[in-house]
This record gives sequence, C-alpha cells and structure tokens, in this order.
Amino acid sequence: MTKEDLLTSILQILQGLEYTSGIFFFTLILSLPLGLAVARGKMSKNKIVSAIFGVYISILRGTPLMLQLLIVYYGPYYLFGISTGGIKIGPFNFRFIAAIIGFTLNYAAYFAEIFRGGIQSMPKGQYEAAQVLGFSKSQTYFKIILPQVIKRVLPSVGNEVITLVKDTSLAQVLSVSEMFFMASSLASKQVSIVPFLVVGVFYYFMNAVIALLMSKIENSMAYYS
Amino acid sequence: MNNTDNILIMENIHKSFGDLEVLKGIDLTVKRGEVVAVIGPSGGGKSTLLRCATTLENIDSGKIVIAGDTLCDMQGGKIKYATKDQLRHIRSRFGLVFQNFNLFPHFSVRRNITESLIHVLGKSKDEADQICDDLLAKMDIKDKADSYPCNLSGGQQQRVSIARALAADPDIIFFDEPTSALDPELTKGVLEVIKSIAAEHMTMVIVTHEMMFARDVADRIVFMDGGVIVEEGPAFELVSNPKQQRTKEFLAGY
Repeated sequence: MTKEDLLTSILQILQGLEYTSGIFFFTLILSLPLGLAVARGKMSKNKIVSAIFGVYISILRGTPLMLQLLIVYYGPYYLFGISTGGIKIGPFNFRFIAAIIGFTLNYAAYFAEIFRGGIQSMPKGQYEAAQVLGFSKSQTYFKIILPQVIKRVLPSVGNEVITLVKDTSLAQVLSVSEMFFMASSLASKQVSIVPFLVVGVFYYFMNAVIALLMSKIENSMAYYS
Repeated sequence: MNNTDNILIMENIHKSFGDLEVLKGIDLTVKRGEVVAVIGPSGGGKSTLLRCATTLENIDSGKIVIAGDTLCDMQGGKIKYATKDQLRHIRSRFGLVFQNFNLFPHFSVRRNITESLIHVLGKSKDEADQICDDLLAKMDIKDKADSYPCNLSGGQQQRVSIARALAADPDIIFFDEPTSALDPELTKGVLEVIKSIAAEHMTMVIVTHEMMFARDVADRIVFMDGGVIVEEGPAFELVSNPKQQRTKEFLAGY
C-alpha cells in the first residue's frame, strides 16, 4: 500500500459521500412522515384499513431490504414493461430514485411500529383532559400527543437512523455510486483492503456525529418527564 | 338560555359496559351555586356518572342538560347527542378535575392553564396570562407559573389542575376523587382550596371518599351503590342520620 493509494481511496470515497448522504437525507425526510401515516393506518378503527397497513408493515419488515431495492428497480420493467432508463428527476437518475423509494418504504414500516408503540403508550388521561378542555381532535394530536410521543420514541428512532447510515451501502446493488460502491470497486482495482478500511472510518464518523446530535436533541427535551 | 337555575340536569341515565349495567336510571339535578357530593363504594357507578356528565362516556339512554344546553336527549327511542360545535360550547361550560390530575407534562404550569383559553376560547395571550396569574394566586402557587408539572408535589399539581378547570369561568365544576392520589397531608391543602371555591358559590359535583369533607363542604350528599341512587339528602343529615340500611352500613366504615 502506498500513500497515494490511501489518498486516492479517500478522495474517491468522498465522491460517494454525496450519494450516501443523499440517500440518507431523502429517506429520513420522506420515511418519518410516511411512517407516522402508516402508524395511524395500522391503528385505524376500520379493520380492513388496519389489516392493509398491517400486511404492508409485515412484508416490508419481513423481507430483505436488498430484495426490496431490486424489486423497486427492476419491477416496473419486468412486471409492467415500463422502460425506466430515461426517467430522471432533476439531476437524479432512476437508480437513485429507486433506491430512495425502496429505502423510504422500508424505513417507514419500521418507523410506523416505533410511532405506534409511542402513541399507544400515551395515557388515556391526556386525551380526556384535552377533550374536556375543548381541544379539537387535530389540536389534541399536534399540541398534546405528538410532542410527547416524539420524546418517547426518540431513542428508538435514533437507533434506526444509525442503522440507516449503514444500510445506505445496500444501494450498491443498484449500482448507485455511493461510498460503499466506490470502495468495492477501488478495492478490486488496487487489490487492497485499504478502501474498505477507509469507508469504515467514514461510516463510523457519520454515525458518531448522529449519535451526538441525537443525544443533544434528547437533552433538549429532558426538561420534563 | 332557559332553565339556568338548574345547572346540571340528568334524567333517567342508563349506561352499560357490555353486559354490565353500571347506571340503572339515575336522576340528578344540581342547582346554581349548589355543592353536591357523590359518595358510595367503588364500582357503585359514581365515577361513571361523572364521566357521562362530562362527555367522556356516552350514555345509552336518558337526558343530560348542562347550563341550559342539551348535551343529549332521547329522539325516537334512541339517544341523540349534540353536534360537534354544540359539544365544543358545552365543554367550555364545565370543568373537570381528575383523580390523577392529567396535566400536560410538556407544558409549563402557565401553558397548562392558558393553552385552551387561547386556542379554544380565542382569548388574547395577555388576557389568558392575567386569568392564569389570578388563579395561581388563589391556589397559593403564584411562583409556580413557569414550573413543569414534574417538578411540583401532588398537591400542587392538583391545584394547577383545579386552576385549569376554573380558567374558562365554567358554570359547574366536577371533581373525580380529587384527593385519592394524594397523601393525607397534601389532601388537606387541596380540600381547603375546594372549600374556598365552594365559598364563592361555584356549582360543584364532587365524587369523594372523604366523608367528613363531604359533610362539611356539600349542601347535599348523594349515596350511590349498585348503579342507583340509594339515598340523598342534606349533607349533615345524611351523614349523621342515614335512613337506608345500605347507607348506614357504608357510613359505618368511616
């Protein structure tokens, strides 16, 4: 191994950072609200609606994320004959879009179960107090329930967020040039383990920052119990 | 508004949970300024009656009128409840104090009291703050406005929840065993506060196990058991000279 190899590794993998963080942020921004919606669907009083969301969660949590990514990417063509090669949204090609869709659907299922646990752990008295004070259903939800649920689910959400950083590496199966994809191809080109070590350090530091942020957010909500 | 001399009218209230009939035709009328204590053994239906009066449970049949507004009535043999807008109005006419306070833990004491004033009743923040400060002074917890419920004692929390129930200037306040979650020392302070509100002629219905308190503060006591009102009468008389055998047995335990 030479110093140049190390430097090339770092620079090349840094190029992949853009895609990695792209997948990460888009997935987070989309899957959190979707997860909340899925949680509400699962908790629906309508048994059919609840069952549909139950099946959704069950399938998305019960099959490999890698498989889901492949199905989102290849499904449109093999199942419906839709050619996806030309699809582009802004600078993003279909590989990237498919990755975002796959990740979002999958993470929404996990977040949904976390939110459901949080919402169902809320004491009935909170709803009752809000009701007799005249708050509407949506006021009760957004002012009283949701802020408390967020505090309750924060540690579990933090876990998922950290997992997501590492899971972005699965996008390599769609040949998205994220960090892991870059590292793999470099490793075979250089016949060296260095790119893998470098990429490991990158993931670790991203997660160290996230863990720090999560504990900051948790502390900012520690003023009540 | 009509018939506002009777703040609460409950007529022939029936309520079942599954096969279990909890209220078997209750009639209860409370006049303006009257303090009524509801006593009786656990499972006798007192709390359910209160929950029905405060819209937390829907009754199966009967009629409820609060401050002149009909909450529910029979129509063609079926119970019919007020519309959403009417319900919103009716809920602003009464206050409810819970056994376990049910304060909002993520709100300061001030916000617990002012939030509904501002966002339900449309009062200005200044007006709501003024109401809050006045009530906290009355509850003797003036310096706690910026505290969070978790930093207050049980007695202080219950005072905040009483202030919250009083904030909208309701026509009637319901208390659901307001001191059952408190130790005897804290109980005393909360009962004093309730007494002081009674002295201002607030109409109140109090479900309680504090027999001496009921005797001292209430004008009238209602003894409930087995889903019916077994006996009711002037507070002192009912406690010192109960007529029904069941009432005698119950009071003998105190």
